This record gives sequence, structure tokens and C-alpha cells, in this order.
Amino acid sequence: MSWELFAVFIGSSLRLAVPLLLAGTGELVSERAGVLNMSIEGMMLTGAFAAAVGAWATGNPLIGLLICVLAVLPVALLQSALSNTLRANQIVTGIGINILALGATTLAYREIFGARSREQIPGLSKWSPPWLGDIPIFGQAVFEQVWLLYAGLAVIALVALVLRYTTIGIVLHAAGAEPRALDKSGVSVSRVRYLGVIFAGFMSALAGAFLSIGDIHTFTEGMTRGAGYLAIAAVIFGKWTLGGTLLACLLFGAATALQFQLPTLGIDVPNAFLIMLPYLLALLAVGGLAGRQTSPRALGEPYFRR
Amino acid sequence: MTDLAADIIRRLTRALRPSVAISVAAVLVAALVGVGLIFALGVSVSDAIAAFIDGTLGTPYAIAASINRSIVFALVGIGFVIANRANLVNVGGEGQIAMGGIAATAVALYGHVGDLPAGLAFLFPLAAAAIAGTVWGSIAGVLKIKAGTNEVISTLLLSFIAVWLLYWCVQSPQLLRKPMTSSATLPESLEISDPTKLPLLTGDYSFPLHIGLPVAAVITIIAAVVLTRTLFGLQLRAVGFNPIAASRAGISYSRMVMISLATAGALGGLAGGLMLLGEQYVLKDGFSSGYGFDGLVAGLLARGSVVGVVASALLFGFLRSGGINMEMVAGVPTALVMVIQGLIVITLAGATFFMGRQA
Repeated sequence: MSWELFAVFIGSSLRLAVPLLLAGTGELVSERAGVLNMSIEGMMLTGAFAAAVGAWATGNPLIGLLICVLAVLPVALLQSALSNTLRANQIVTGIGINILALGATTLAYREIFGARSREQIPGLSKWSPPWLGDIPIFGQAVFEQVWLLYAGLAVIALVALVLRYTTIGIVLHAAGAEPRALDKSGVSVSRVRYLGVIFAGFMSALAGAFLSIGDIHTFTEGMTRGAGYLAIAAVIFGKWTLGGTLLACLLFGAATALQFQLPTLGIDVPNAFLIMLPYLLALLAVGGLAGRQTSPRALGEPYFRR
Repeated sequence: MTDLAADIIRRLTRALRPSVAISVAAVLVAALVGVGLIFALGVSVSDAIAAFIDGTLGTPYAIAASINRSIVFALVGIGFVIANRANLVNVGGEGQIAMGGIAATAVALYGHVGDLPAGLAFLFPLAAAAIAGTVWGSIAGVLKIKAGTNEVISTLLLSFIAVWLLYWCVQSPQLLRKPMTSSATLPESLEISDPTKLPLLTGDYSFPLHIGLPVAAVITIIAAVVLTRTLFGLQLRAVGFNPIAASRAGISYSRMVMISLATAGALGGLAGGLMLLGEQYVLKDGFSSGYGFDGLVAGLLARGSVVGVVASALLFGFLRSGGINMEMVAGVPTALVMVIQGLIVITLAGATFFMGRQA
């Protein structure tokens, strides 16, 4: 493989990993707080659709991004209310929301754009950081990316700091590990969990926007294709640590990038196998490659105040 | 006389347990939203409803097609209920159907079963489908026992893998794709031979109800009896309520997890086999067409009752047929059916709060 092709591979791995990195970070925060948020798939799809419609209708991708975040908020509130206030089964409600989001976005897409339109939608612009962008061979191929990638990385860095060095990080951890102790110390478990799910919604919205108006500048029906589930698998693979989750997301991104890279190298691997590869890796990951699993103790369990 | 009236009312209220009432209410609410959406789409509601009824009950063909579809949903749904007794959530119906379809096609086309005595020609592919589904379900079971992997994640990922595996099979001439005679050869398998097709109950293609119906009926009865009247059903439930207490009582958690997930997989694979051998005859991309998720919703809606699965499977079977006809005749996208299903799941899951703390 030539250096040029290698640089393109790294660049596209990064680009394809972005939705996973964003959604995975959101999911991690939500799971740390004790809510297994299956609905990030639906939230991403809603976000991708709202961003596309917003950018298309106003001609301004920034307004599309804003509309995207606003559109996902009610979905996140619904998931929060179901899993915290109504204490419903988090997995079942998540799947229900995903079915609803797939149906609703497909329906609305057909209504607004007509069946299978390939209309280009104004997208977010690319940005290349100073110095890094000037590195020969690698500069442009790796670092010239949609600015949302850099904004997203900044948010993720912020999350890392908050989780590690602030009270908020400790409170989140307690809500997922020892909710009763947190409650006794006077913090509302429900409120922490609400905020965790809403943050996951925010990150999924950005992930969805990246898919539609960041990466390919169009919306296609069901375009997330299980990326949300890959993000959840990444959290498990990363043993509920931020670093591990991000590494897993990058791995899945690279596996997806292979699908476009190997054919250009003349390596004949069935396309279907390459499309399947990220899911296969995710299955191996959750199935023990990661070792015994150490999830937050109260993950997935609604909290009952006594 | 008043005694009799009181007795009837008592019996009726007992039948209308809150769980049944809530299921019915959830369906009604979702259906109302559906009608509202049709209205919002600017389609004549009466046209849409006429198209819906025509697509479900309009012709003998429509009725038989709806029932055949309901059989698939019922099998996947019963699998869901069985696993759910052990407090497991099997979301893998989609992949299990796909694996069943692949296995049934492979054996029907290349297993030299066409010359076998009548009956065996389709029984072998059907058995292969069930075995393929069992294997797929068991993987989730093994991961659950050995690594503690949440079965929801593993069955979902297994579904994605199976769906792409099917795509691989029909894309690759070395696997199940029919011989390429020109560049226009479609990426699909050959049509299975006549002896391997499931016999129709009436022998008449205008009412194509196949022997999947009696097969599913027998399985339904067995499942209902095993779950409610046998020691095994009780053990499954015990594990679901409290695995630690159950293991103190000598019930192996691992064994129950394996059996329930493998059974759910077998039923999903069988459903895929019935779809291929009974209706589609050709394996192509998109074979499972969301039926695994429909079956899952049917299982959820039933709230643990096998009879409930049958009722909701019939509901969804006819809903799908009506939805397809609504799209063709009245121009209402079938995605509407998904919206309705999503709403049913969410409403039901949310409603458990109002029924006390047991789900």
C-alpha cells in the first residue's frame, strides 16, 4: 500500500468513525448514569433527517444543525420519561423508539422529498487545522475534515475532563453504581439520569447530522444502518471507559473504511463480508474479547425511591 | 336472574384483565394516530381504509397471504415469549429468519432432496432451516453464559450479520446465486423445485394457504401447554424471576438460558424456512423484510401469553397486508405501519407503570 492510499485510509477511517465516536460518548455518559439507552439508533436517524430537512429548507447547514438538535430533544425526553419517570423496560422502549423513528423519518422523507430522491443538500464545510493540514501526503487526506469532526472532538475532550476531574463525573458514576447512596446524599437520581439521556440525545443528534449534512450531503431511508447499536457495542467493548469506547469506535470506523479501500488495492474480498465486518468485530468484542464485563452495577434498572 | 347477570359480569371482567385491556387500548391509540397521519398526508381517509380492507379481506388470496404472514410473526413471537419467561429479550428474529431462509434454500436446491418420497422433499429443507435458526439463537446463549453478554446486543448484532450473510449468498455465484448467464442475471437464487415447495392446503393458488398453518397451530398448542402446565415451564419462570433462588432450588440457569434462546432461534429459523418454501421460492436480498421485528412486537404485545401472540400476530399479518395495499392503491407509504407498531411498543412499555410494578 502506498503512503497516499494509507493516508486516504486513515482519513476515511476517521470520517466513518465520527458518528460512532459522538454517539458512543453520549451512550457512555447515559450508561454511566445507569440508563441503557437503546434508542440512540433512532435518535441518530431523527437527527440525520432533521438536519437534512433543515439544511435543505433554509439553504443553511448551520440552521440544519440547530434544527437537528431541537428535533432530537423530544425523543430524548420521551426516552428519559419512559425509563426514569415511568420506569419502563429500557431495552423495550428503546426498540420501540427506534421502530417509530425509522417509520416516521421514512414517511416524512417520502412526503417531503418524494420516493428515493437523490437531491444534494447543502452541507457543512470542511476545515483543515493550521500546521497539521500542511503535512505532506497526510495533511490534506487525514486532517481536511468537516468542521463538526473537530467540534465533536472538542466536546469529547470536555466530557473526558468532566468525567475525570469534576463532581459531575462522580455524581454520574454514583447514579449508575450506587443510586441509593446518591439519593441519600440529597441528589435526585432521576434528574441525573434525565440529564444523562438528554446528553446522549444531543450527541446522537450531532452524529446523525454528521451522517447526512456532514458526510454525504443527502438523506437516505434508514441511513444509520445500525450505527447506534455499534456505538452501544463500543461502550461494552471499551468496558465503560471513555478511552476504551473511543478506541473501539475507531476500530469499527477502520473496519468500515476497508470496504472502500480494499477494492482500490485490487484485493478481492466479497463486499458483503466487508460490510458485515464491523458488526462481526462488535459481536466478537461484546462476546468476550473484552474479557469479563464490568457494567455499572445499576445499569438498566429503574430506580425506585423508598 | 341477577345471579346469572352478576356471574356473567364477573366472568367478563376476569377475562378483561388489565393487561388485556391495556394491550387493546394501546392498539386503538396507535390506530387512531395512524388514521390521523393518513388525514395529515392529505389522502382521503375513506379511500385509504377501503384500500386497507380490500388488501386484508378483499380476496381469498389476500386472506391467505395475510394468514401465511401471521404464521411467521406467531412463530417468532412465541420464541420471544419463551425466552422472555426466563427474563431474556430475544431481538434476533430477523437474523434467525434469514439463516432459516439460507439453509432452506441451500438444502432445497443442492441437497438432492427433490427425488425423495413425497413429504420428505420439503421436510429436510424445513428441518435445516430450524437447525440454522437454533445455531444462531444458541450463539447468543453461549455468549450470555460464558461472557455475560447482554442478549439484546448479541442478538441484534447477529441479525445484522445474518442479513449481510444472506446478501453475500445471493450475490456470489459460488454460493447460492443462480448461474450467471448474462450481466442482467439478478442477484438471487434459482427457484426451488416443485417437490420442495410446501403443499397448499386447498391445492389452489388463488387461496395459497400452506401446511405452515397446521404446523404453527401444533407448535402454538405445545408451547402454551409447556409454558403453563409443565415443570419445565415453571422452572423457566423461576429462573426469570430470580436466577439465584432458582439455582438454590436446583435449576440450572445456564441450561434454561441455552434452551430458551435455542428454542426461540429454532422457531425463527423455521419461520424463515416456511417463508421460503411456502411463498417466496426464491432467495433474494431483503428476504427477512422486517418480519423478525414484527414478530418481536407481536411477542411484546402478548405480554407473555401464547394465545395473545396468536392474536397479535394475526393483527400484524393483516395490518401488513392492508398497509401494502394502501401504498399501492391509496399512496400511503407502508412506513405508516411501522409508526403504528413503534407507538404500540412505547405505549405498552410505558403503561406497565400504571399496572403495578410487575411487567
